[in-house]
Amino acid sequence: MRAVVSHRALLVVLFAVLAVLPVVANQYTLFVGNLLMLYMILALGLNLLVGFAGQLAFANAAMYGIGAYGAALLQVRLGLSYWLAAPCGAVLAMAIGTLLAFPALRLSGIYLALATLAFAQFTQWVLLHWNSVTFGAGGFPVPQPEFSALGMSPDRGIYYVSWVVTVVLLAFAWRVVRSRVGRAFVAMRDREMAAQALGVGLLRYKAMAFALSGFYAGTAGALYPAVLAYVSPEGFDLFQMVLHKAMIVVGGMGSIAGSVIGASLLVYLLEVLRQFKATQEIVFGALLLAFVLFQPRGLVDFLKRSVPGWSEPLHYASDSESAFDVAVADELVTGSRGGADR
Amino acid sequence: MSSLAVTNVSVAFGGVHALSDVSLAVDAGQIVGVIGPNGAGKTTLLNVICGVSRPDRGDVTLHGTIITGWKPSRIAGLGLGRTFQTSQLFPGMTVLENLMTGLHLRGHTGLIAAAFRTPSMKREEAEMRERALAALDFVGMRAFAGRSGTALSFGQQRVVEIARTLIGEPKILLLDEPAVGLSVPRVAELDTLLRRIRDERGVTLVMIEHVIRLVMGVSDRVIVMNSGRKIAEGRPDDIRRNPDVIEAYLGRQGDARRPAP
Repeated sequence: MRAVVSHRALLVVLFAVLAVLPVVANQYTLFVGNLLMLYMILALGLNLLVGFAGQLAFANAAMYGIGAYGAALLQVRLGLSYWLAAPCGAVLAMAIGTLLAFPALRLSGIYLALATLAFAQFTQWVLLHWNSVTFGAGGFPVPQPEFSALGMSPDRGIYYVSWVVTVVLLAFAWRVVRSRVGRAFVAMRDREMAAQALGVGLLRYKAMAFALSGFYAGTAGALYPAVLAYVSPEGFDLFQMVLHKAMIVVGGMGSIAGSVIGASLLVYLLEVLRQFKATQEIVFGALLLAFVLFQPRGLVDFLKRSVPGWSEPLHYASDSESAFDVAVADELVTGSRGGADR
Repeated sequence: MSSLAVTNVSVAFGGVHALSDVSLAVDAGQIVGVIGPNGAGKTTLLNVICGVSRPDRGDVTLHGTIITGWKPSRIAGLGLGRTFQTSQLFPGMTVLENLMTGLHLRGHTGLIAAAFRTPSMKREEAEMRERALAALDFVGMRAFAGRSGTALSFGQQRVVEIARTLIGEPKILLLDEPAVGLSVPRVAELDTLLRRIRDERGVTLVMIEHVIRLVMGVSDRVIVMNSGRKIAEGRPDDIRRNPDVIEAYLGRQGDARRPAP
C-alpha cells in the first residue's frame, strides 16, 4: 500500500482512541469526548449542505436546537421514553430543514444566507419566548436515559451510543458523497446551469441536501439532552452557528475527513480557551477569518499537498501540477483504487 | 417529422426584442450551424430550446413533444444535450468524475442504495466508470481521466465538456460557440470530432459559431440570424452567395472568409 497516512487511517485511529476513552479517562474528559462526537455530526451535516451541495445556509444551529428541544420536550412534556423521543427530534429537524430547500430554489449565496439566518433567529426567539412549551430562557433539566441494565452509568452509556451514531453517520456521509448523489451535489455547487443541462433536478437535490443536513444536526441535537441532562436556548445561538461554520472552513469545505478534523481541532481549542471565556469568540472569529483569507480550502487541502497518499474523492483536485499524484491517476484509469477507500 | 422545431418564438427582455417570430426545423442526423453578428439572438435561441429562458410567444417541439416551459433537467431527460460558451466543467471533480456526472440520467442510485452500497449500486458505478473511460477514448482524452478539469488547456476542457454531454446519449446536441478561443489546428480537430459525432453516434448537432470556416465546412445547413430574426437558411454554398447575408453579416465587400467586426 502506497498511502503513508490516508484519511481513512487517520479516522480509524481517531475513533479507536474515542472507543477506549471511557476506560482510561475521567468523567470530564469523557464529557468533552462526547461533545466532540456531537460536533463531528454537526460539521458533517453542515459540510454536506454547504461544502458539497453549495447551499450557503446558516440554520444549522437552529436544526440542532430543534432536534434537542424536540427530543427533550417529548420526554418532559409528553412522558415519552428517550429512545422514542430522540428519533422523533431528529426527524422533526429533518422535516423542517427540508422546507428550507424551497427558499433555496429562488435564493442563492448571500441572500440564502440571510434568509436562513432569519429563520435561525426566529427559532431562537421561539425557544426564548414560547414559555408555556419551551420553559423560556432558563431552559429545563431532562432526565438522562438509563443504562443500568448494561451495568453502565448514564454518561458512559450515552457516550457509546454517540460513538456508534457518529460512526454510522460518518460512513453514511462518506458513501453518499462517493455516489451519484454526491456528484449531483458537487455539480450543483460548481455549475448549477451545467448540472441542470445534464439532468440534475435542482429541487430534488437541494431538498435532499437540506434534509440530510437537517437530519444530521437534528441527530446531534437529539443526543444533546442525554449528554448534558439540560437544555437551554443559548446552546443553539449564533455563536454555535459560527462554531459549526468555523469547523468546516478550518477542516475543509467539501471534505468528509475535513469535517472531522475541523470539529476535533475546534473542540480542543474550545476546551483550552474555556478558562478565558471572553477570548473564545475572538479566537474563533480570527481563526475563521484567517482560513477564509489564507487557506480557504482548509487543513485538508494542506494535508493533500504535503502528505503522500492523501487523496479524497470528490474533493477539489489540487491546482498545482507538482502536487498531482500521477500514481493515483493511473489507478483511477485502471479502475483499481489503492487501499485508501476500498 | 423534424427532430427539433422552433415555431414562431419571440422573446423580449424589457424593450429589447431578443428573438422576433423565429421558426426553424432541424432534421435528424444533420449538423446545423447558426451564425449571426453579436446580439443577433443566437444564445437566446439556444436558451429557449434547452429551457433556460421561457419564450413570450411560440413553441419548441422535441421529437413531436411540445417542451415549451419545461425545466432544463426535464428537457435533458428527453435527449437534449448542451455545451456552453465558457467552460462549465465542474472544478471540484476529476475529468472522470465529470464524465460520470454526464451519466446522471442513466443512473438510479439514491441515498439508500448509496448508504448500503448495494450490488446494483456497485454495478452501476463500475458501468459508469467504464463508459466514462470509453467516452474519453472517443475524444482521445483517456490519459487525463484522473486530472482536475481546471488543469487542462482551454481546448481540452472544451473537448471534455463535449464528451460529458455526449456520454448521456443525447439525440440532439446544442453547442454554443465550441471553437471560441481555439487555435487553427484545434479548430480542424473539432471539425473532425463534430463529423464523427454525427456519423458514428448519429447525433443531430445544432451549433452556434463565429468561426465561419468551421461552420461553412462542417454544416449541412446554415441558419443566419440578425437582430433577433432569421434572415436566411440554406446550404453553406447558398448562404455564401446570399446577398442579404453578405450585406448583413459578412460585410459589403463580400469577403466570405473574414467576418466583419
